[in-house]
Amino acid sequence: MADPYEVLGISREATQEEIRKAYRRLAKDSHPDLHPGDKSAEARFKEIAAAYDILGDEKKRARFDRGEIDASGAERQQPEREFYRQHAEAGPGFKYERRWQGSGPEDEDELFTQIFGQRRAGARARGSDVGYTMAVEFTEAVNGAKKRVTMADGKTLDIAIPAGLQDGQILRLRGQGRPGLKGGESGDALVEVHVTPHPIFRRDGDNIRSVLPITPGEALAGATVQAPTVSGPVQLRVPKGSNTGSILRLRGKGVTSPHGQGDHLVELRVVLPAHPDEELVRSLTEWEAKHPYDPRKQGDRA
Amino acid sequence: MTDRIIAEQEVISAVEHLDAQALRRWIDQGWVLPHRDGENLLFDPSDVARVRLICELHYELRIEEDSLSVVLSLMDQLYEARRHLNALLSAVDAQPEHVRAGITARIKAKG
Repeated sequence: MADPYEVLGISREATQEEIRKAYRRLAKDSHPDLHPGDKSAEARFKEIAAAYDILGDEKKRARFDRGEIDASGAERQQPEREFYRQHAEAGPGFKYERRWQGSGPEDEDELFTQIFGQRRAGARARGSDVGYTMAVEFTEAVNGAKKRVTMADGKTLDIAIPAGLQDGQILRLRGQGRPGLKGGESGDALVEVHVTPHPIFRRDGDNIRSVLPITPGEALAGATVQAPTVSGPVQLRVPKGSNTGSILRLRGKGVTSPHGQGDHLVELRVVLPAHPDEELVRSLTEWEAKHPYDPRKQGDRA
Repeated sequence: MTDRIIAEQEVISAVEHLDAQALRRWIDQGWVLPHRDGENLLFDPSDVARVRLICELHYELRIEEDSLSVVLSLMDQLYEARRHLNALLSAVDAQPEHVRAGITARIKAKG
């Protein structure tokens, strides 16, 4: 039986803390469950544990130092122990095996299917496709754009977004996937595109819809006001006698797509001032008293 | 030996340093997967060996619980890889002599 001080690689004057540290370091390096491929790990670990069993305990260490017990004195107390690896390597279907993938029990030798499946396909093999997702601004999706994007896996792709792109559409970039085997062609990158909603515009097929606030005066007397569209602001003529819910069509200002050219439908909304003053309230109530109408009744609505 | 079923209380008294709280925490983390029978947790010998290992790594080798999840995940992958390798080796072993010789030659040439 080796000298425990030598086993732990420490001097006879070492403090208890130094002994603990030496033990932890050596035990980590030789724990059989952490080094299943190392045949000597178990013997080494047992020797370290036996040495620590004596030196880690101050009383036992003192008895050892006085020669009352020898190095094997403690060894007899160590019960024959079993290690985890005896279970982990016992046979197929070990339940802790796939825990790290979060998948269910045993996938029957998936690894070999992977290896042999690929080989059987022949020496030349096309690389696999790679899936990505990316976000695109609403106006970029409508008008089209060219973008250079760095994907989650670090790959940089130049992506041409076609005008009229739909939310959830998948763009295929030829040859941008995994490289092929032995001269086989590369796979493709499949980019699923998510269109970010716009605060004003809404897509309705190839048409764009938006709501345009106007004042009661503009609604009653008619006016020319500025309205935003996906291709920039335009001057919009609000006809006399317009009302909330009236829809004005801006021809050709919608989405240009392979099936044609959409329009922009502007829905008007009459908006009162946020803080109506006396004068407005008085004049309107006086007017209403003279010209009663019930907007909740069919015939009275404009 | 894998048929033997051990109750939670038995596990706690059999494994040095272990207390009920720590055991429940490790089960919640998915580090230990006992069989559940209603309220009762039933452990098999591999569960107990794993609990003993976790205790040793944590209380004796002072690996913190945060790091332990990494250690256990790597360890599980290591054992899985070794199991695959063993399966492959025994498949090679079952091949006729000339096939085995061909495989050995190829490994040496690549190595």
